[in-house]
Amino acid sequence: MAEPTNFVLVVEDDPVLKNLLGHTFAGKYQTLYANNGTEALALFEANKPALVLLDLILPGMSGFEILETIRKRTDAQKDTPVIIVSNLGQASDKEKAKALGANDYLVKAENSIEEIVSKMEAMLPK
Amino acid sequence: MPLWLVFTIAFVVLIATTLGSVWYFTFTILYPLVTPEVYIPLTTGGTLLGAFVLFINLILFVILGRLIALPIRRLTRAANAFATRGERIPIVIPSFAPSEVRTLMRSFIELVGSVEAAHKKDVDTSQVKSDFITTAAHQLRTPLTGVRWALEALEKSELTEDQKALVKNATDKCHELVTIVRTLLDISAIESGKYKYAFEQVDLGALCAEVVVDFTPQATERGLVLASVPGGAIPLVRCDRERVKWIIENLVDNAIRYTPQGGHVTIGCSFGAERVFVTVHDMGIGIPAKDSANIFERFYRAGNAVAKENEGNGLGLYIARTIATDHGGDLRFSPNTDGPGTTFTLSLPVGGPATTV
Repeated sequence: MAEPTNFVLVVEDDPVLKNLLGHTFAGKYQTLYANNGTEALALFEANKPALVLLDLILPGMSGFEILETIRKRTDAQKDTPVIIVSNLGQASDKEKAKALGANDYLVKAENSIEEIVSKMEAMLPK
Repeated sequence: MPLWLVFTIAFVVLIATTLGSVWYFTFTILYPLVTPEVYIPLTTGGTLLGAFVLFINLILFVILGRLIALPIRRLTRAANAFATRGERIPIVIPSFAPSEVRTLMRSFIELVGSVEAAHKKDVDTSQVKSDFITTAAHQLRTPLTGVRWALEALEKSELTEDQKALVKNATDKCHELVTIVRTLLDISAIESGKYKYAFEQVDLGALCAEVVVDFTPQATERGLVLASVPGGAIPLVRCDRERVKWIIENLVDNAIRYTPQGGHVTIGCSFGAERVFVTVHDMGIGIPAKDSANIFERFYRAGNAVAKENEGNGLGLYIARTIATDHGGDLRFSPNTDGPGTTFTLSLPVGGPATTV
């Protein structure tokens, strides 16, 4: 059985940003990528990732809805750490994400990938 | 009925009958007391009539007064409500009121209508602008993120010194752009009133000292002396620490940029009349009188500021003042009396904005 803690689920629809994250994550994490909510929830269900990086503006289901779906689960997976990594950054967006149960909120353009990694490290089980 | 006619009729009828009654009583009651030889008998009919006329006149005077006073009072109440709260109390124009008063009321209703329409148009335009800025800023952020992350990845790869320098240039400019986008978003949020301030008790003296420490390297690099002047005991101020720090940083950043080498930039903090004042004194090029009215406008840069090498987008002071006024405070400037340059003064009420007290 694969170590479930190895997986990091990245929900991001921009291929370039996905590549750049993958470039840094290579060798560090086993990364799963989802382009939209349906893919994200399927991968989440099947692989039990240890952490989710979640964009908010996605085709179809929004990141808020994905987060809500995860937090509504009844099993242990509902408490999987979720870091919002989005370019929405208004106070209202942050509050909404917090209220829905996001563990952290990073505005993409304002953070280097290293900063994202250090937030991830703090949340991943050692 | 026009007011002059009301007054003329009232004057003729009321004054004449009143005088008549007073005259009658004078001769029947008072006059015989002074000169008893002249005796005019007081008749029951005369007394009743006189008393009746006086009584009716009194009532008529009161009614006449109220005829004018009531609608004016109603108008005053509506005007006050509109002026202070922007509230529109429906005004019923009484048919009994004199025509001048009715015209006045109608004009007022029209005035309120046009003021409201103008205000609504203003708000709509401002909303469209603000929405546009928000959308544009979000649209800009996604490609910016790609550029930023790619440059950061590139920085870590094997590069020659020249290449490293070039990547650093690109990274620096990219960070600048990120900051501009954030500023735009902050402005649109602050402007549309969506910005959420986090109020807490803040030691502004300590905050100023913090800014001095942060900016000392930058000042030293430009050959300036940055110092803070102690201003006695400063009470804690209820404000948004980050935003107020941002104001002070902007003022100091401006002061450093505009002060020539060898000059001084001085930050002061003082207390008086339930307000804390933070002053930033520079020895810069000063603000020409013709620009002084516009310096707090969006995207405005004084003519002599544009000509200098200084960077700046003309937004800092605008947001700074908006934040200050949102706190119930103010941001002003005055030319220095002891030499060239300008002093900016940020004043904040100790208790924070009145609406949240």
